[in-house]
Amino acid sequence: MTTVATRRTDGVRRGSIRKGETASSWLFTAPVLVLLGLFLVIPILMALWVSFSDWGGRGSPFSAGVNFVGLKNYEAITSGGGLAEQNFGQSLRNNLWYVVLVVPIQTVVALVLASLVNNQRLKGRGFFRTAFYFPSVTSSVAITVLWLFLFNTTGAINKVLSWLGVHGPNWFNDPQGVLHAILGAFGVTSGPGALVSHGFLGVSWWDWLAGPSWAMSALILLAVFTTSGTFMLLFLAALQNLSGDLQEAAMVDGATSWERFTRITLPQLRPTLFTVITLGLIGCWQVFDQVYVATDGGPDGTTLTPAFLSYQASLINQDWGQGAAIAFILFVIIIVFTLIQRWVLRERAVSKRRRLNPPPVKVAGLPAGEAER
Amino acid sequence: MSRSLTRTVLMGAVAASAALALAGCGSGFGSSNDTGNGGSGSTSKLTSSNDPLTVLIGSSGDAETNAVKSAVASWSSSSGTKATVIPANNLDQQLAQGFAAKKPADVFYLSTGSLPGYAANGSLLAYGDQLPSDLKNDFYPSLVKNFTYDGKFYCAPKDVSTLQLIINTDKWKAAGLTDADYPKTWDDLATVAKKLTSGGTTGLVVSGQYERLGAFMVQAGGNLTNADNTKVTADSAANVKALSYAQSLLKAGSMKFAADVGAGWGGEAFGKGLGAMTIEGNWISGSMQSDYPNVHYKVVPLPEGPKGKGTLQFTNCWGIAADSPNQKAALKLVEQLTSKEDQLQFSKAFGVMPSIQSAASDWKQEFPEYTPFLDATDYAEGVPTLKNVAPVITDLDGKIAQLKTTDPKTILDSAQSNLQALLK
Amino acid sequence: MKPHRWTTGRVAAQSLLYAVLTVLAVVYILPFLIQIATAFKTDPDAASNPISLVPNPFSLAAIDKLFTNSDFPLWFMNSVIITVFVTLGRVLFDSLAGYALARLHFRGRNVIFAGLVAVMAVPNVVLLIPKFLVLNTLSIYDSYVGMIVPLMADAAGVFIMKGFFESIPVAVEEAARIDGAGTLRLFWSVVLPMAQPALITIIILSFQGSWNELAHFIVAAQNPALTPLTKGVATLASGSLGSGTQYPLKLAAALIMTLPVAAMFFVFQRRIMNQSEGAVKE
Repeated sequence: MTTVATRRTDGVRRGSIRKGETASSWLFTAPVLVLLGLFLVIPILMALWVSFSDWGGRGSPFSAGVNFVGLKNYEAITSGGGLAEQNFGQSLRNNLWYVVLVVPIQTVVALVLASLVNNQRLKGRGFFRTAFYFPSVTSSVAITVLWLFLFNTTGAINKVLSWLGVHGPNWFNDPQGVLHAILGAFGVTSGPGALVSHGFLGVSWWDWLAGPSWAMSALILLAVFTTSGTFMLLFLAALQNLSGDLQEAAMVDGATSWERFTRITLPQLRPTLFTVITLGLIGCWQVFDQVYVATDGGPDGTTLTPAFLSYQASLINQDWGQGAAIAFILFVIIIVFTLIQRWVLRERAVSKRRRLNPPPVKVAGLPAGEAER
Repeated sequence: MSRSLTRTVLMGAVAASAALALAGCGSGFGSSNDTGNGGSGSTSKLTSSNDPLTVLIGSSGDAETNAVKSAVASWSSSSGTKATVIPANNLDQQLAQGFAAKKPADVFYLSTGSLPGYAANGSLLAYGDQLPSDLKNDFYPSLVKNFTYDGKFYCAPKDVSTLQLIINTDKWKAAGLTDADYPKTWDDLATVAKKLTSGGTTGLVVSGQYERLGAFMVQAGGNLTNADNTKVTADSAANVKALSYAQSLLKAGSMKFAADVGAGWGGEAFGKGLGAMTIEGNWISGSMQSDYPNVHYKVVPLPEGPKGKGTLQFTNCWGIAADSPNQKAALKLVEQLTSKEDQLQFSKAFGVMPSIQSAASDWKQEFPEYTPFLDATDYAEGVPTLKNVAPVITDLDGKIAQLKTTDPKTILDSAQSNLQALLK
Repeated sequence: MKPHRWTTGRVAAQSLLYAVLTVLAVVYILPFLIQIATAFKTDPDAASNPISLVPNPFSLAAIDKLFTNSDFPLWFMNSVIITVFVTLGRVLFDSLAGYALARLHFRGRNVIFAGLVAVMAVPNVVLLIPKFLVLNTLSIYDSYVGMIVPLMADAAGVFIMKGFFESIPVAVEEAARIDGAGTLRLFWSVVLPMAQPALITIIILSFQGSWNELAHFIVAAQNPALTPLTKGVATLASGSLGSGTQYPLKLAAALIMTLPVAAMFFVFQRRIMNQSEGAVKE
């Protein structure tokens, strides 16, 4: 790149261009820097202060009447046995189940979809790709409204289940954990004393192990429905990037298609697999829209998530300090996953081709997927 | 779903909590973030300016919005002060944002549950004592108490609502029941509910939450706290008895919760014929009229429990912001909106009951079929009014929704400890 | 690859593949078809025949109520305004910054780059409450400015543009520079027109992002006159327009708000879908 300047051998001229470059560089980057500073950096610092203060929600948090209260807000949500701790514990529990189920399911579904539509001779593959990707472009609000209708007690899903002879659950109103429901079907309705009487963050171990509630399960299906298409595109890009030689060789060797998939394709997909999983992990910790639109955290707090709880604590219940503290704990959780992602992606950066031309699928799909959650 | 439940509750004139002077609770306010415009508790000087007023309301629908708009508009034209009515998408959230931004609405609906929090952080103008005394003394005393915090009467009650039993008269007759069969006791209620249960109809369908089943608690001689909100009584034997009774109805199949029959609230289940009876407040009249005009129904008093008559009462007030630049005009507006004429007008438009005693007889004359609601103001009890009580009630509601399969004592014990924590 | 012979086994496998794909496609498409059908149903019909794809009777009541007796048109207009401005802002700012980071030499470039990487890691949801505090301090809370400007901060877009500029040859700029064009003019008349493919990507992303954004609008404004579609429809979902479930009304609202993104998706479909292939084949 420097060739532009160096080829013009005249030193003075070169200097002036450099000078102009520096000025215009700052001019070019200033808008983005100012915006990010104002709406990303400062908010973080401000929230940090609020999480250590007793600000009550009137006027500026920096006014004279607001006091530093140390770790009080953090203590209220992590110890003390009150409702604040229970709610926070429950929100972590709910979100953990969400992550544990959504990430593997969406990854597998996306990979299966990509493998199916990758076939070059497949007729109508454009149609199929469009069908699978389309849910990813819709807004989380619109799709959640649709979900409320489909998973209504007397809605479409339960109607389909009734054709199969299954009496469907009361999805958005049933706080019972899915695993508890399954155990209940075998006559187990209460857990062993050791699990019931001990717990973490105000939630007993028995409840930590309850599984997602039916309401949360509906949201889990929603997440898979809306993000599998995005990740399918990522896998598709990677699949098409694979060399055919290995496949050919394996075919000559008489390997079955399943063997070819597990022994040759899958190992080659590892970088993409890592990307998809880590992005999934990060996104899944940010569930807010669906909870806001569909459940408000109910039934019985089983769809509360840290993100929603932070909003609720601050803006509805006037516990601004606790709301900010929850946001920060969530921040730490997500940063940890992000660092893992960076570390994983670092490997990929070795490929110069990729660095020069960032995978445009990521471009088209990802932020959408992230927004979706 | 639970959002619409919440809204339904708000709609009538809400649930959960309110004022009550908790010694020590309010000690943190009034300090340095008052900016000399009247501030939190100091009520002597009102701000005054030519600024127009904004009125933020949590509306139940077009009928309510339009009624408030026209009342405010007529005040505007006679007083010369401009005023705009804004129906909130989410009242709690918008109030909180307004206060934090120091750009609050001047006048707004305020629930008993929100009052302690906002009173404590100095967001509210405690103007109650500056109302003309004939108006002030006209409010039902229990309502004034609801809106008194730390010894100060903060805001004028805008209405009152109570719960009673609503009966679908066609289904009643079809089950072979007559006027003589209106339930007088818990046993009566169990009997008629059973008779009314058939096919797709359940005898009694209610919203599964404290704000409905609490009526049984009062009938058994209990409630979550004592009348002064100084003592938590959630785990009392009376409350256990009340929830056990409700549980027996659930188990018998003669009572179901609205959510379990696919309805957002009791009124919807009732209107759609999913339930032959429901327990709701006077706000149900509005939605019956607009959504289910063909359903014939009758309002009768809830049955008496072991300790006689009992029901729950809800109310909202007209809050005025401490940061309002035109409190003088705001106060005048509130006086107008709580006047007999305006309150009766609101009653006609969307079914609320006036908060002043002098309007009672006119109201009964206008709505003879709803008199049980107004009669109940004599014996109805309020819901707990402690600071931060809202999340506790939400938590309790979540557990009550599972009453059929949960031990009542377990539910009440957890409510006891959560409420106890608020008293400290 | 070798030509495949059409054995019976192969035909069976092919049929199975199509069968599986068809079932999957139905699962992915049916919800939207149900949505379209329900938008034209009456309330009782929607409740009793939740799966039926034929409204019976066919009713325009929901759509009619949305457009004549609700704030829906206002929400729609607000969403359009916000989306247009956010998109314009992002196109300009992202390409400026991306170009500077890719082509220009200045001290602090690496620091800025590292900063952007760090910023991309900050989860949006965490910023919900603090963003409100900042908007409030800046006195742009409850205004279009407060709703639009923060959304223009977009580190990911800068990366896309930077990547694009690095991938195209410098020859053209060089020629222009020899003609004596200054950096700004060079950028405006030479670089930006060349960047069209990447700009379309930015447009797609920011259109979709700002049209579908909810959380930021919740904290950025409370005036009903400033309510965009996402917030408005979310309120509808919780039942403020009256009582009852009113599914046709809600689904119609959700449907109409999906149309613009759907239209954009179909217009740029080849681009969105084929980029994956293009990228790989390099």
